[in-house]
Amino acid sequence: MRPARAALLALSLSTPGFALAGEGARPDPTYLPELLAAARNRSLSEDRSWLRLGHWRKRLFGGWESEADGPRLFLSPQGKRDPAAELEATLSGFFAAGDGAPLDRKLADPSLEHPQCRFPARFAWLAAALRIDLERLPPRSCPRFEAFWRRVSARSVTLVFSSYYLNNPASAFGHTFLRLGKEEMASSGERLDLIDQAVDFAAVTDTSNAILYAFEGLFGLFRGEFSARPYFYKVREYADYESRDLWEYELSLDQRQVAMLVGHLWELGQTWFDYYYVTENCSYHVLGALEAADSNLELLSHLGPATLPADSVKALFANPGLIRAVRFRASARTQLGARTAGLTRDDLDAVQRLAEGGDSAALGAMSTDERVRVIDAALDLVDVRHGRDIVTGANPAADVLRQRLLEKRSAIGVPSPPLIIPAPSAGGPERGHGSMRIGLGAMTSREEGAALLAEGRLALHDLADPPAGFSPRTQIEFFKLRLSVADRRRAVRLEEASLVEVTSLNPIERFERRISWKMRVGATRVVDGGCDGCVAGLLAVGGGPGLVSAGGAFSAALTADAELLAAPELRGLSGRGVRPGVGPGVLLRLLAGERAAVVGTGSWRWLPFASPRTSYEIGVEARVHVGAVSVAARWRKAPRAEDVGLVLLIYRG
Amino acid sequence: MRRALWLVTAFILSAGVARADAENPAAHGKSTYGLAGCGLGSMIFGDQKGAIQILAATTNATFGTQTFGISSGTSNCVEGSGPQGARNFIEGNREALAKDAARGSGETIATLSAIAGCKDAKAVGFALQKRFAQLFPGEKTPVEQVSQNVIKELRSDSSLACRKIG
Repeated sequence: MRPARAALLALSLSTPGFALAGEGARPDPTYLPELLAAARNRSLSEDRSWLRLGHWRKRLFGGWESEADGPRLFLSPQGKRDPAAELEATLSGFFAAGDGAPLDRKLADPSLEHPQCRFPARFAWLAAALRIDLERLPPRSCPRFEAFWRRVSARSVTLVFSSYYLNNPASAFGHTFLRLGKEEMASSGERLDLIDQAVDFAAVTDTSNAILYAFEGLFGLFRGEFSARPYFYKVREYADYESRDLWEYELSLDQRQVAMLVGHLWELGQTWFDYYYVTENCSYHVLGALEAADSNLELLSHLGPATLPADSVKALFANPGLIRAVRFRASARTQLGARTAGLTRDDLDAVQRLAEGGDSAALGAMSTDERVRVIDAALDLVDVRHGRDIVTGANPAADVLRQRLLEKRSAIGVPSPPLIIPAPSAGGPERGHGSMRIGLGAMTSREEGAALLAEGRLALHDLADPPAGFSPRTQIEFFKLRLSVADRRRAVRLEEASLVEVTSLNPIERFERRISWKMRVGATRVVDGGCDGCVAGLLAVGGGPGLVSAGGAFSAALTADAELLAAPELRGLSGRGVRPGVGPGVLLRLLAGERAAVVGTGSWRWLPFASPRTSYEIGVEARVHVGAVSVAARWRKAPRAEDVGLVLLIYRG
Repeated sequence: MRRALWLVTAFILSAGVARADAENPAAHGKSTYGLAGCGLGSMIFGDQKGAIQILAATTNATFGTQTFGISSGTSNCVEGSGPQGARNFIEGNREALAKDAARGSGETIATLSAIAGCKDAKAVGFALQKRFAQLFPGEKTPVEQVSQNVIKELRSDSSLACRKIG
């Protein structure tokens, strides 16, 4: 293999390969002033490629500031805020005496390495932009970068989207990272993606205290760093043990751009960025790195105020021709579904018995093929249920069970046919509606007469939104607000506000008996006799059995709910302003393909030691989706409210 | 006001303490992955569990060791080729490989065959399936033992012609 920097340079300069300078070659010191003058003449430090390589962004009140927060990305002490000074320091640095660090000598501090070796992408870009004469500024050999280059051996770049935990909304928004593809194929033609390197940007945490953790994450107190590891670690972690489907978007970057990306990721490896969960997060900096590798890309400009991983996929699609191929890698749970899809009821009985440690007499009577199918499905079921505990050693009994099944399976001595799983018809995140939503409409109620409605939501999806690209089972909403102005009142009034609202519909199925649940934190207008239309803080949870039909067209859940309302005027617990309530809740949803949805909800509450003693609320919402907008019709009835409304919802971002 | 502040402080502190208590697997004699080489347990899950693990999954955080850093330090666990590459692959994919071996086919077998330079992944699948119980004796066996078993098997069966781990 050709040494990394030679390859990177050759690609940047579009010249055939050349030899790296020998040990004796020294840069010509008279050349530096010429290059500095040329760079100044051409205002190279204002070139957008250069600005992207240093991650400089325009500051609010003029000037530049780099998003990189670690000092190592800059050779000039003013580098963070001065792209021009950094460019001159970089050119000067390239002429520095000294060697690239040899691989066998542990360098105590990588910053002592030669600037040419620390900044291979800058070197390649400047060499092309200034037409640097490599006789007068000979490139050095850089053993540590060479080792990284070989390890990565990148021929393609793929952005991987790890889904929202489809059935497990713990990972609310998904995750994105890069896969640098070696493009190796097995002799049988299969892709060997597992041995590729995955590069991701993640927060490096330093606390195990959950509350501090959330606080530090929101306010950028963690460092975010790039790291590279074999892709198989990612596949095992996400697809196997968290059961998240992976969507892979291969980018049509040419070899020069791929090389620039590898060189630039190496540069980024020395620094860190303050990590903000909502804005400068994993998805943001992955896009930033891609923009640095190919200055024609427009990615960050397509992001909204909050950077959601799904939006970063859409940003790729906003660059025509950028996506060369889309692939789907099924999670453990999706694989289980595919394995059980064709089985008979008797087979499924056998699968269940095997996965629960029993022996199935029926196995003996089955054909070899059928036995293979049943045991293979039972193995997947054991992994969906216990996979993670087996790996971490938390469940030795499950391990014994799995081992017995594995041995039983191996004894059959017949290979399983490949399991081919097509991508789900709902599509990947790129098909999803915009995460921001604003709504305008009108309603009329018996108490207030006609009123105007305005509402907004920062993210992400509710059960009546257009279903394409989302899990049909999950509602996750952050920062939702609904205001009204009634004709009679002529004042703006808060109807609803949610900090967070989550609903997870989990069908009670043969193999997985998980309950559906919901949670909401926010504020709501009280619509019973508890107070005179006051706004109360609200904390509500609920859980119970649910069902989702095969295609997702019909779903329902029956929940036991508990809620806590608080407002000064509220006649709550023994007259105080706090009012707990418990009672049943019901949720029904019908989906008419991707065009329309109807959601019905109902709840009844017992309010101990409060006045009144009970309350209820029922509502129906129907939506029709047309392009990027939906029309919603709503009806609601509660002890002191009955209203109907019509709202136009617009999805953005 | 002071009381509220006190309560908040106590709550924050207790969140940490409760976790520390729950997350010490050694205290319960459960830790089997302390010496797990490049195995998943130590590389991905570390010793983090419970609420923090969920938060980490939600917010895409890692519990920072510099094992996989890009330019600072390199770990053996990233090497992808040759005998060390085969070892890393087996250890990082132990559970998935065991399942594919029992089934006699699958992605991890195709990949391992390519890393080891074996002639035919089908033959490798057949060999691993046939000797499954000896090669993969269950999670109680240290992961290094499993990788050693598998590599020895691939080396010893000359009909597999696994030339890259010779």
